Amino acid sequence: MTVTRSPAVADAAAGTRARSRGGGPLASERKWAWLFLAPTLIGLAVLSAGPIMATLGISLTQWDLLTPATWVGVGNFGDLLANDRFWTALRNTAYYTIVSVPLGMVLALAIALGLDKAIRGIAWIRTMYFLPLVTSSVAVGLVWLWIYAPQGGLLNEVLWWFGIPPQRWVSDPFWAMPAIIAMSVWQGLGVNIIIFLAGLQSIPREYYDAADVDGAGRWSRLRRITLPLLTPSIFFTGILSLIGSLQVFDQVYVLSRPRPTEANLTLVYFIYEEGFRFFRMGSASAAAWILFLIAAALTIVYFRSQRRWVHYQ
Amino acid sequence: MRQSPGARRARTATAVVLGTALAGSLAIAPVAAQGAEIEYAIWGDPAELTNQIALVDAFMAKHSDIKVNVSVSDWDAYWDKLQTGLAGGAAPDVFAMDGPLFPDYQSRDVLLDLQPYIERDSFDLTALADAGVQHFTTADGQYGLPRDLNVVALYYNKAMFDAAGIPYPDDTWDWAKLVEVGKQLTIDQDGDGLPEQWGFYTETTDMENYWSSLVWQAGGDIVSEDRTQTLLGSDQAVLGLQQLQDLIHTHKIMPTPDLFVETGDAFEQGMAAMESNGSWLVPTHLAAGIDLGIAHLPAGPAGKATSINPTGLVVAKSTKAPDAAWEFVKYIVGPEAQTQLMQLKAAVPVDKSVLAGAYSTAFPGSDVFASSIDFAHLKPSFRGYTEWTTRLQEELDANMFNAPNKTAREAIDSVLPELDAILAQNAAQ
Repeated sequence: MTVTRSPAVADAAAGTRARSRGGGPLASERKWAWLFLAPTLIGLAVLSAGPIMATLGISLTQWDLLTPATWVGVGNFGDLLANDRFWTALRNTAYYTIVSVPLGMVLALAIALGLDKAIRGIAWIRTMYFLPLVTSSVAVGLVWLWIYAPQGGLLNEVLWWFGIPPQRWVSDPFWAMPAIIAMSVWQGLGVNIIIFLAGLQSIPREYYDAADVDGAGRWSRLRRITLPLLTPSIFFTGILSLIGSLQVFDQVYVLSRPRPTEANLTLVYFIYEEGFRFFRMGSASAAAWILFLIAAALTIVYFRSQRRWVHYQ
Repeated sequence: MRQSPGARRARTATAVVLGTALAGSLAIAPVAAQGAEIEYAIWGDPAELTNQIALVDAFMAKHSDIKVNVSVSDWDAYWDKLQTGLAGGAAPDVFAMDGPLFPDYQSRDVLLDLQPYIERDSFDLTALADAGVQHFTTADGQYGLPRDLNVVALYYNKAMFDAAGIPYPDDTWDWAKLVEVGKQLTIDQDGDGLPEQWGFYTETTDMENYWSSLVWQAGGDIVSEDRTQTLLGSDQAVLGLQQLQDLIHTHKIMPTPDLFVETGDAFEQGMAAMESNGSWLVPTHLAAGIDLGIAHLPAGPAGKATSINPTGLVVAKSTKAPDAAWEFVKYIVGPEAQTQLMQLKAAVPVDKSVLAGAYSTAFPGSDVFASSIDFAHLKPSFRGYTEWTTRLQEELDANMFNAPNKTAREAIDSVLPELDAILAQNAAQ
């Protein structure tokens, strides 16, 4: 379930598609493609495939890591479905995904459109947007904890100027999830922006020139040329964001002190807790497989939808 | 875990009898550990690591044939690494053990019984604090020794008491006095409803910092002796829990916990006049420049009580160098190492001679921790502790302490069946 978040992949998705219109890649190109994919594929096969399959076996056992496992069949799955905390985690993960994926993509698109300009220092500005992504989640979390602090926190201070009373951003059940979403969206913007920028720059100038001749305005250029030709990039960032958000963990881990509440316990945190805190590796593995099945189902539906809205040049 | 001294003695006696029987069947040759290398794993901050490395160096200076490698992690990573290490056959030889989590490991048969080694060397367990030793005693052996003790007491800011002309807390203090003085020391100068100085502060997200002591001071208890029943539903226990909610939401001498959850200890920041918390905070408070005073926790309706929680040293059953590991454990709990350990002021020593001697005058107030042990209750420990306490605290934090959605009675009643189900599930395994 690992997705490599590399700008180069984005380039490939947005760029090579243009050249390969009609047929597939040439035979010689295909060979190179496999060669470049080899390190990732070998890594996945050797380091991930084994453990992933092992969790399938473990999910059918009761195992506390330290004493021998006992076979329980699909018992863990039944227990999970009867477990309120599991449903809470599932609900919170759905909330997080439904809000953070569209929000993150719209913001990233807006910023990418703004950054797609040849102005002085643009490279620096673009780099700035990418910085949160290469900063450790823990450092980011500590800064955001200060932003959200009920007393003397940046956010409450700013709101105070407008006469808005201070809020408990992290511990108030109502704000707990929005606070995590805001931090995650901010942190994840960089990836989507880079992909969108690559997509924008691969749109041939000629289309815009032709639109100018036809007297198209800014809005219709965006609607009729930019967005349709950007759909491969939008499709690609969509799938990355979707899978990434289903796996949200770091942000919850660093932002919810001292532990997540019913308002922000997410599925991967639940899995971590079951396995490493409550000594139930079987149950944790079963939950991981349920998450995998959900992610796989959503991915399939999403890929199927591609025909209806993604335009390859 | 409320126990009369009689019950403690009875349990220790059983352990000794069983231990002797075991030692008879398992003859262990008194061999010295030759050229062994062991790994010693701890959690902690850089100051603790430095202190522990000093202990290890002193040990190696005496035992040139044993090399000890120290590995340190933060709290969460420590348990992740330990579990995977034990499962994967790469566990540290000697490692630190948090009191409440001990049964989760001991019951899974990954710890070495030290009783045969204790017998072989005629090691005197009575030299160590009884509660600490007893914590690691089971029906069939001694699966660890206490490394240091965590004792809860009342910290107070002398400067704030002086400024208000109020005498320092003493042994006459009870709950009512705490509230009375707490109100005098809660100061909201700008009248915005949010005091700049709070009378009292504590952490509510773990029983150890204060609320377990309140339950005991009210005459209640937390779980039954046989670990099959949660006792928090008794009127006394509920009274204790209710007291903490009242300090926050009725008397308003203490901030709601979420107000300081991001920024940390209000007492350390000089924003609270008193705090109930553990002995491990002494160096933190001193480093923050607090004019620090330490007193016994105020007494409740059923008298004085506080919490004691030993951090233990345990040996992995899978160790290839059990003799070297035992030598090391023996050294760390001994008077020399314990004297070194207490230099940090964070750890209450387990060696009785150090506790009554050097420690009692180590810093102003150290004697308070030492004498608190007389009326201290062991922090409860049982299989499934983490899940039990997670579920319990979720309810208490959200509905009692951060927001007064429920009374102590309502909160406890709503979570009690689940807590007992967790105990039952763990007892059955």
